Amino acid sequence: MKRTFDTGNAAITEAAIRAGCNLFAGYPITPATEIAENMSRRLPQVGGYYLQAEDENAALHICNGGSIGGLKAMTATSGPGFILFADAFGWAVSSEVPVVIVNSQRVGPVSGITGAPGQGEFYLSRYLTHGGNFETIVLAPSSVQEAYRLTVRAFYLAERFRTPVIVLADQMVTDGWETLELPETDAEFLAMGLEVVPRRIHPGPEFYPATDDIDVPPVVLGHNTGAACSDWTPTDRGHDTEDITWQHKHAWRLIHKILNHRDLIDEADQWYLDDDPEVILVAYGTPSRVVQNAVNAARRDGLSVGGIRPISLWPFQDHLFKRRAIYLVVELNWDGQLVREVQRAAADGSQVHFWGRCGELPTSAELLEDITTLLKHEPLARDGWRTEKW
Amino acid sequence: MAKRIEILISGYGGQGVVRIGQILGQAAVNQGLYTSMLISHGTETRGGYVRSQVVISDEFIDSPVVERPDFFCAFSGIAYTMFKGLCGSQSLILHNPDIVSPDPGLASPHWGIKAEAVATEELGDAVFANVIFLGALSSRLALLTSEHIVEAIRERLPQRFHEKNLQAFALGRARK
Amino acid sequence: MSDLLEKYVRPEKNPGTACKGCGLRLAHRKVLEAIDELGLAQGDVVWGTGIGCSGRQTFVTWKGDTFAGTHGRVYAMATGLRLALPPEKRLILTVGDGDAFTIGFLHLLNAARRNVDMTVVVFDNLGYQSTGGQYGVTTPLGSKTDSSPYGAWEPNWTQGGFDVLRILKESGATFLARHTVLQGHEPVESLKKAIQNRGFSVVQLIYPCVTHYGVQALGTRDLAKIYDWFRERTADDLSADANTHFTTGITHDASGSRVEFAAGLRQFVASVQKGVGNGETD
Ligand SMILES: Cc1ncc(C[n+]2csc(CCOP(=O)(O)OP(=O)(O)O)c2C)c(N)n1
Ligand code: SF4
Ligand SMILES: [Mg+2]
Repeated sequence: MKRTFDTGNAAITEAAIRAGCNLFAGYPITPATEIAENMSRRLPQVGGYYLQAEDENAALHICNGGSIGGLKAMTATSGPGFILFADAFGWAVSSEVPVVIVNSQRVGPVSGITGAPGQGEFYLSRYLTHGGNFETIVLAPSSVQEAYRLTVRAFYLAERFRTPVIVLADQMVTDGWETLELPETDAEFLAMGLEVVPRRIHPGPEFYPATDDIDVPPVVLGHNTGAACSDWTPTDRGHDTEDITWQHKHAWRLIHKILNHRDLIDEADQWYLDDDPEVILVAYGTPSRVVQNAVNAARRDGLSVGGIRPISLWPFQDHLFKRRAIYLVVELNWDGQLVREVQRAAADGSQVHFWGRCGELPTSAELLEDITTLLKHEPLARDGWRTEKW
Repeated sequence: MAKRIEILISGYGGQGVVRIGQILGQAAVNQGLYTSMLISHGTETRGGYVRSQVVISDEFIDSPVVERPDFFCAFSGIAYTMFKGLCGSQSLILHNPDIVSPDPGLASPHWGIKAEAVATEELGDAVFANVIFLGALSSRLALLTSEHIVEAIRERLPQRFHEKNLQAFALGRARK
Repeated sequence: MSDLLEKYVRPEKNPGTACKGCGLRLAHRKVLEAIDELGLAQGDVVWGTGIGCSGRQTFVTWKGDTFAGTHGRVYAMATGLRLALPPEKRLILTVGDGDAFTIGFLHLLNAARRNVDMTVVVFDNLGYQSTGGQYGVTTPLGSKTDSSPYGAWEPNWTQGGFDVLRILKESGATFLARHTVLQGHEPVESLKKAIQNRGFSVVQLIYPCVTHYGVQALGTRDLAKIYDWFRERTADDLSADANTHFTTGITHDASGSRVEFAAGLRQFVASVQKGVGNGETD
């Protein structure tokens, strides 16, 4: 292992290179620019291609085009670019091509605040394109080390599931510096639980079977297999059709290839849940680190508290929230996004509260105060969506 | 329980706020410790404040947030005003009295170092002020050895600046 | 002709679903003729398409490898795909005028800037036809369409001194030509040159949309009258008045004059790798 002190941006870059990424197309945006810069330095060294697209829509379409040629492609952006992915993301979902997308969330809406962390794309990452009829895989790192691990996993899942995989980070994870251990040998890489799936080539001309099978090689053009892929609803030959039965088969495959293999995707940290805590804090990304600190501190004070950190965000892990408890969901936004899913998933009789702020992480002290209040069954000073008035 | 040290460094862009954090973090990693550093900018153009929140620990660091700094390097008046509220009696505030005037109402001990003046006088350039502060800070950081910080300076700064920066570090470290 | 379709076109897509009398079939055939005359086989070409009648009617007609992009984006996709394909593979895109010259124009310009090896055949039916007939940037001024009931008045890119192909020339395209499908073999010759160019080529191929442009703008369902109008408007060279005619010919041939993008990138990567070997970069 090489022990270094580096940023999440560097971790994501090294992970992509290790996972076999050989195409990066992007467009500069704070705070994801450094990923592009790092890739521009690293990719040529390993024989890969770096290019700057005319916009983010083009960036992801270039990645898609590279991917259907057999390259392993990645792009990285932040909110204003993420929204421009909608069209190309839909193409990748529907045509079932592997591609990796990194979003370092900043403060929105729109251009918002550039150099501060936000969590405003929880839902957008689920529905990054129109039309419905699909599931999305979204992974959320909370540390530099985890940014490395989850980027490698994103490439791995993208290949196995033939689908775009989103790494939903935040400015603190990507710009933040931390101890980063990089595997130097294959054995060390494997010992981290990581794996690389090389690109396989769909034999064609048949398109994908109407099953939930994963590990069906993706369509790769240029081998004269008569392969076809498009944004149209495909028949079993990949031809465009207006026939709703084919659409049903297509949608079923897009949904169930993911839902029926959740064991490969689902991941979460759970703290002190075996103790049946009265209050459970929930967060993903960097805020979850403060939550972990607050939960640990509360436990030291003998309080009945636990914590949940979803690592894979989508498909949403409803099963994590079946325990009857008082939940406090901590997010870097004022409108409450993750909290809505927790509300939906939480067992009957549970109470779900929302702690939100933008641009600054919560402090452990603030969370401890709320934990104490909730344990006393008293109303929070700042509960739900009743945010401060000016 | 873990030994956890929280260091807050803040000032303008170009004052070495991030660089000091990088050197401390690198030194910690070289010493086998855990470390994290969050960076925030006041504005995208970097004209406003820059803040590094550095945490060093002998265990995995859960929260990377500096809530109760053990040390606060205030490189500008704006930074001082913005973050002094986090400081308590346990926080040592390093500042340049030519730039930042201490708030008498604050319980925190202050350590004034005229780093810019010293840097200009002794090394011919005020840019070395931040490493003078680093040297001074390091003399109070029981967790990090001076050898590891020197090694980190060599790793993190371009070679042609090593000599003057090491001098600056020694100047800072010698201050009482 | 029909053996040409047999040779290259998937039987289930022959005949296609274009309207009776639509000039798109002629346009499609010109491309196949060019491919045939160049002696290219199924495995030599990867075929991409855009959205609209032009794109959809030609999608997955090619027996070999094919793909379709969303509206206007196939040029960006083709840029990525080009990096992955062997250089000798020909990459041909058949797309609409709206797809190429409006919604996808930014990507088209950037593909020209990079000189990415692809041949974009713009099947120009003078507007957005698959959405029922609205004016676009090649619709002649004054044309009545469903969105210009009083006649199209917005400035376009083919009249009033403008030529969309000139913009592409300035952007770095290395082969540009314009024809109508009523010109017999001339378009085929241009298409052959375009396909042979190891760089970015565009051929604008004007054809009659009988169902919408014919009815709305020309006021007739009579195929003969519609085709006559197009024939009369076709000028055999570039010097005619573009306000009243489709001027045709090769507007720019700089084939081979610029480094092709994928080739250039590969060379660049190799040079960086050599530098890495020498320890020049970290
Ligand atoms: C993003 C987007 N906007 C609009 C449409 C609707 N649309 C489908 S075909 C078409 C017309 C395309 O015109 P052109 O490219 O000239 O093709 P034509 O049908 O005329 O051959 C439009 C606007 C779409 N499919 N996607
Ligand atoms: S609408 Fe026009 S362009 Fe489209 S198929 Fe019919 S005639 Fe051809
Ligand atoms: Mg058209």
